[in-house]
Amino acid sequence: MMLTLIRRELLDNLMTFRFAVAVFIMLFLVVANTAVLIKDYERRLAGHKTEVQKSRKYMLDGKTYSVGELNIDRPPNPLSIFNAGLDKRLGNEIWVYYGHVPTLWDAEKHSSQNPFMNILSSIDIVFIFEGVLSLLALIFAYDTLAGEYERGTLRLVLTHPVSRGYILVAKYISAMVCLLVPLLMSLILAMFLLTTSASFSLSMPDFLRIGGIIFASIAYLSVFYLIGMLISAMTRRTSTALMLSMFVWGFLVLVYPNMIVAVIQPSNPPEERRASVHNHIKQIWEEFERERKQFLATDRHLEGDPYGNMRWRGGYNFEHFQDKASVLQHYYYAGAEIDGFHEEPESQALHVQNYHRFLVPLIIDTAERTWRIREPVLEELFILPATIDRAWLRLSPTGIYDVATQALAGTDLQGMQDFFTAVQQHRQSVIDYYYDKNAFGSRQWFSADKETVDWRTLPQFIFQRSDISLNVQRALPDLFLLLTLNIVLFIGVFLIFVRREV
Amino acid sequence: MWHITKREIYDNLNSLRFALTTVLLLALMLTNAIVHLREHPNRVEKYNKAVTAYQNRLASYANESLYLLAQQGPGDLHKKPSPLHFCAEGGDSFLSGTVNAGDPFGYSEDMTGVWKLSYPSVTPNLENVRPDAIKLDWGFIIGYVLSLVALLFTFDIISGERERGTLRLMLANAIPRHTVLIGKFLGALISVSIPFMLSVLMNLLVISTASNLHLNAEAWGRLGIIFFISILYMSLFLVLGLLVSTRVRQSAVSLVVLLLVWVTLVVFMPNTLASMTGEFSPSMLSGEFWKRYRQLHQELDEKYEDRVWTDESDTKTLTARSEYFAKHAALDERLNEDRLSLQIDQFRHARSIIRVSPVTIVQHLLESFAGTGFERHLQFVENTQRYALQFREFIVDADRADPESLHLIGVREGMSEKPVSPKSVPKFEDTLNLNEDFNTTAMELLLLVLFVMVLMSAAYLAFVRVEV
Repeated sequence: MMLTLIRRELLDNLMTFRFAVAVFIMLFLVVANTAVLIKDYERRLAGHKTEVQKSRKYMLDGKTYSVGELNIDRPPNPLSIFNAGLDKRLGNEIWVYYGHVPTLWDAEKHSSQNPFMNILSSIDIVFIFEGVLSLLALIFAYDTLAGEYERGTLRLVLTHPVSRGYILVAKYISAMVCLLVPLLMSLILAMFLLTTSASFSLSMPDFLRIGGIIFASIAYLSVFYLIGMLISAMTRRTSTALMLSMFVWGFLVLVYPNMIVAVIQPSNPPEERRASVHNHIKQIWEEFERERKQFLATDRHLEGDPYGNMRWRGGYNFEHFQDKASVLQHYYYAGAEIDGFHEEPESQALHVQNYHRFLVPLIIDTAERTWRIREPVLEELFILPATIDRAWLRLSPTGIYDVATQALAGTDLQGMQDFFTAVQQHRQSVIDYYYDKNAFGSRQWFSADKETVDWRTLPQFIFQRSDISLNVQRALPDLFLLLTLNIVLFIGVFLIFVRREV
Repeated sequence: MWHITKREIYDNLNSLRFALTTVLLLALMLTNAIVHLREHPNRVEKYNKAVTAYQNRLASYANESLYLLAQQGPGDLHKKPSPLHFCAEGGDSFLSGTVNAGDPFGYSEDMTGVWKLSYPSVTPNLENVRPDAIKLDWGFIIGYVLSLVALLFTFDIISGERERGTLRLMLANAIPRHTVLIGKFLGALISVSIPFMLSVLMNLLVISTASNLHLNAEAWGRLGIIFFISILYMSLFLVLGLLVSTRVRQSAVSLVVLLLVWVTLVVFMPNTLASMTGEFSPSMLSGEFWKRYRQLHQELDEKYEDRVWTDESDTKTLTARSEYFAKHAALDERLNEDRLSLQIDQFRHARSIIRVSPVTIVQHLLESFAGTGFERHLQFVENTQRYALQFREFIVDADRADPESLHLIGVREGMSEKPVSPKSVPKFEDTLNLNEDFNTTAMELLLLVLFVMVLMSAAYLAFVRVEV
């Protein structure tokens, strides 16, 4: 019986005009956009590769420890094709300096591309699904029950000894099968395009992640189909059902996600908080500066300026405070590369070495101290509002779907922070390496006259995208939310349909 | 004809879609107004503070000496926020609100050059980890929501009558078909306009009652134009609905077709084309720019090296210095301008490609008339360039008025060191020009009208030939 029902429904759906249009539009949109997105990814990857080479060259060019330019470039995430998330938006070049703990907010964009182009919006596959899949699901669902009622066939079907639940399940399954055809077809074609592109090297976990995204897409599709069914069960006329469905679609997909972000405002006045913390950080560095001056004053060989008394021949030195108030960035930055001296300043050099042996650990220590203040405030100023926004977004299935797929693709905020945590660990290992080599107290810290630094023994930065289990774990709450929504909606449809008079 | 229109309006007024549309549009417009009331005072305050700081800086230099004024320049010039920001955000957060006219290079006290114009860019996205969202301005409400609503009002306008069999009845009367078509169109136009007008009025009421924001006569004029454009854009989608509705026999199929056309045209086309434009117009490499920058500067430095870097301060050295400073600043300024114009060209190119989508056209039109967005930014840049010329002329004139000066601009010993009255120094004020807006948008306006005309005639032809 069940099979007969499903077969009937399936045939009904497959032969319709809307099915043909659904397949066509999905294929067209997904394939066209995937091609564009692949090109875009390739360009970003090429940019990343040249940048890595460039920064390697810069690093090897540095002759002393203190001027070592250790830049790390964030590789683009291949799954950003599915959901770009924050992958394209945030900075991708981060500088590892012992005197500052690097965060997401210290990163820069390596390609100083045309700033006007940021105005144009970008697109990803999940965005297409968000809009089109939901629309298709509603278009398939609006007349499932109301249509049969209108034509009078519902009464006919119910005269048979079939329970109403069976009819619902049969309708649900057959429509979902019909909707899966365009979804899977377009995804398979997209995957085909991905695998033929030379620059994509998708690993096994990546395929699993894509599998997770497909699963989320199906759950999302089903939510909207059930919403359509619910509307169809509640109304008596198809035209009313269609009209209501379209308004619901417009609200959930188009209006709500954009409206909520505009309406929500961070609760506390961040400007004052930002300013006060920035001042606090500045004070700590001022304290550091006093200690530094004091040290210089006690050593009469240095006389306030460590490099002043050395008569050097070529080279340069610099010292200043880096400052960017909007992200609470403030630190002391200094370095020197002296090519040679006019006369042997052996004792003088020892004093300068002594100065650095004292200074650099102090810088690292101060950096740690400011970091302890900065970290929670960054969290409060940037991450907390973003988390609140995402929580509100979840009131719409589109928001849940977006958050879940971002987590699966690893382009969500946490995925981005993984990278910067890795950079912070790398900074720590660089500092350990400096301690091992006794770099601060060495002559190579500031002078390249006798020996230059061998950068090749420096620990390499390796970044592995987070483990798939972690991605799934992050996406799990939202996936559960989608599934729960499915179940709740199905029960709702069932209850309404069972009580309905035909 | 009026009879048909009236009947259509009565039909619609009682329908569910009318109620839903009213609620949706009202909610959106009120949100828009509230967000504007919350954010706009901050923008204005920030601008006013910046302008005060600019004027104070100018006055303090003017009170010091003309030389300092010539060296340091007017400083940061600020873009005036538009009171109609709620109509179209226009990507303003990605456009810099300032042009810098100051920042002379400086090696030492004697070797400090003169100010130049430079165009800073902003990258707000680097810090922002909040989710992406389209700004909830009129551009969004009209471009996306109103167009969808227009389709929902017209998808069954003909096909529904045919399904019910009333079309035959109506055509049996002695009314020409085009009258029926126009009557129906007007009916739909008026029925969608009512909730739209209502929500717009509510929006403007909320905004104009706030004491700290006042819209002047010009702003109201602009709002009138924006309203007219929205009606035009709305009719585009009404006519599209009419066309499909006449061609398709079932209203459900008609809606499906319309929705898919809408999704492709409004949601995907702008986005996909925007991603594609990156392909078509490769950006200038910043490496190349800096290479050229270094090369030209090196040439200039070599030319003046031996005449400028001396301890002497005779007239010859001072003349050379004045020349060198002027050329240095001019070179910087030219390079900055070249880079800016390359960026502008690339972006213009990209924008002209996206223009095939009506939603982009209407958003461009709205931002032009609201005084936000890209074209407005270019106007601002032009204003600053004009002001820079004026300021330079003022310095030369003021210097000429001092008989003790050697008239060597930019060098301490060669210039008037007397203070000047801060009042006489020209001040920068950013202005909006409606005529210019009309010129830049004429093309887009025509394109929109053309779209409507073409669809209208297509709908007419389709309806005349339709078999009942």
